[in-house]
Amino acid sequence: MTPEASEANGPVLLDLRDISKAYGGSPALDKVSLTVRGGEVVGLLGDNGAGKSTLVGVISGVVQPDSGSLRWEGKQVSMRSRIESAELGIETIFQDSALVRSMSVSRNMFMGRELVGRFGFLKQRAMRDASTEILGTVVGIRGVDSPERLVGGLSGGQQQAVAIARAVYFKRKLLILDEPTSALAARATAALFEYIASLRKDGLSSILVTHDLYDAYQICDRFVILERGQVALNATRDELALDELIRIVCRG
Amino acid sequence: MTSALCRLVARGERTVRFAAQALAKRTCASGPRPGRKGLIWTWPRFMGKNDWGDVMTSVKEQLVLGEGSEAHSGAGGPATAPSGFLPGRFMHLPLVRHISVHQRYRLRQSALDLTVLFLLIQVGSVVAGSVWSTSFAYTISANILTALEAIPLLGITAIGVGVLMVAGEFDLSVGSNFIFSSIVMAMLIGQGWDPFVAALFGLAIGAGIGLLNGLITLWLRIPSLITTLGTTGIWAAATLFVHGAASQTFNLSGPFATLTSGTIGVFPAEMFWMLGLAVATWALLQRHRLGNHLFAVGGNAKAANATGISVRRTKLFAFVFAGTLAALAGILAATRVATITPGGETDLPLQAIGACVIGGTALMGGSGTVLGMALGAALLYWIEDVLLLLGAPGFYLDAFVGALIIVAAALYGVAKQRRVL
Repeated sequence: MTPEASEANGPVLLDLRDISKAYGGSPALDKVSLTVRGGEVVGLLGDNGAGKSTLVGVISGVVQPDSGSLRWEGKQVSMRSRIESAELGIETIFQDSALVRSMSVSRNMFMGRELVGRFGFLKQRAMRDASTEILGTVVGIRGVDSPERLVGGLSGGQQQAVAIARAVYFKRKLLILDEPTSALAARATAALFEYIASLRKDGLSSILVTHDLYDAYQICDRFVILERGQVALNATRDELALDELIRIVCRG
Repeated sequence: MTSALCRLVARGERTVRFAAQALAKRTCASGPRPGRKGLIWTWPRFMGKNDWGDVMTSVKEQLVLGEGSEAHSGAGGPATAPSGFLPGRFMHLPLVRHISVHQRYRLRQSALDLTVLFLLIQVGSVVAGSVWSTSFAYTISANILTALEAIPLLGITAIGVGVLMVAGEFDLSVGSNFIFSSIVMAMLIGQGWDPFVAALFGLAIGAGIGLLNGLITLWLRIPSLITTLGTTGIWAAATLFVHGAASQTFNLSGPFATLTSGTIGVFPAEMFWMLGLAVATWALLQRHRLGNHLFAVGGNAKAANATGISVRRTKLFAFVFAGTLAALAGILAATRVATITPGGETDLPLQAIGACVIGGTALMGGSGTVLGMALGAALLYWIEDVLLLLGAPGFYLDAFVGALIIVAAALYGVAKQRRVL
């Protein structure tokens, strides 16, 4: 057993059973089941229209499934918004709706969860120092010299890293990354995946929606391939060679 | 210990106090940056070379300075003055960091460039006014007084509109709000109400108009540009309904008039209202949680919502804020001008939004500074003033103001694309 696999044998964090969702009669998800364990990185693959976005929506609370059950840490839950899923410890990072470009890194870090003193006034220094500290620990974020920089001035990889670092800081347990690398250069992709993999040791799980098979293969513990709303494949990396994965995805 | 530094601080020696503050900041920031440029400061002329160690010792004691820089390792810096030291001359103090990297980014996000531009323009105008005092009467007291009275009325409205623009919405109804709330106040005072109570009532009307704008926009999910275009007409009609088309004269003396249109020296009360509001709004935007939420909902409502910020409530606040400030400007104008004309102030919305745009407030929301809004108002007034002084016909003014707004928006767009700002 590889070390990654043993790490992935944490307690079951998220357990989806027979989730179905139809839009106006045409099924987007058809009895999809998915389990994510603590510290596990799951690669969610599939063609456009295979149901990836709907599944991500269900897990992040944006989409309400028609049937099926959703268990979080063993308890039956129902989420009606991203805020409710965030309260459970699920953070969804969409490419364009994670950060505010016109605000500084520090302000983004604490957006909606500001550290405040009396009368709601901000504890600027505490937030800046905390942001500096977080930035210092993040792998893919080198080059952000000050938390006072505007997010809009950062590179795509740095922005993703800031969004992830924020989720880590607020002790999220499951990250859903929706196409995190679609706008990144190869080097930035590698750095970002390295960072995501490094979070595993803290027990943080991730669901990675991606097309980057080569890079994803390096860090994912398990792959789930959706096809026309159904799970076409659910296999650990040990059971699946990269060539085989590529062949299945391309045939898909 | 009555060290040299303590003596100097007691004597109000600004440079030393500045240095001490900078040192204090440095110990709190992310640590020393060896080899960085030092703060440029002047060594007080009356201090001898041998006082250096004394100052450093006291700095160390007062600020518990733990680390020295590379060049001068050891707490508190060198015991003797660096070579090249001459009393009264500018010099580097290697102990103290130059403007920190944080401050540099914050400065870049402030309206620093606009401030510089504004000061240059003012200096230029004053010089021109002094040289050609007959043809360009910029420096005569009447012109200066008019400016000091007129800028705050636009500036206060602009600050309200600007905060709303930061939150990603517009208010075109500030003009009819301005007239309606002040005319109702004037009528109530005419009926024997206490002026202060009537003024509060006027502010409440302004807040109510803002609230209604917000509720309509957010409930019906229509662009606020359309909502407020509609309510502009509604409140203009409401003015005619409650008052008629005749002008309302408004003559008042006593504490209320002093508070709204009195003067301290040459400075009219409106100026202090604007300054106070600017400081309060700055504190709100830059130092308060709500300000952070305003920037967030304006910059990326989806992202703000995902972190648990109530987009509706935040925007509603901004609508109410804009409405209240427009009413306040109307009330201040009423006592200053002494007449309120129904159907007036139709160009106020354009001017207020224009002032914000010139001041660097993003049209799409998410960024803006209070300093920029106030300076934008002052610059707009300056354009009008200069044109008037040069004898341009009145109807050209609006064209110039309109063109200036378009140019400003275009320039900021280009600057943003090139990531200068």
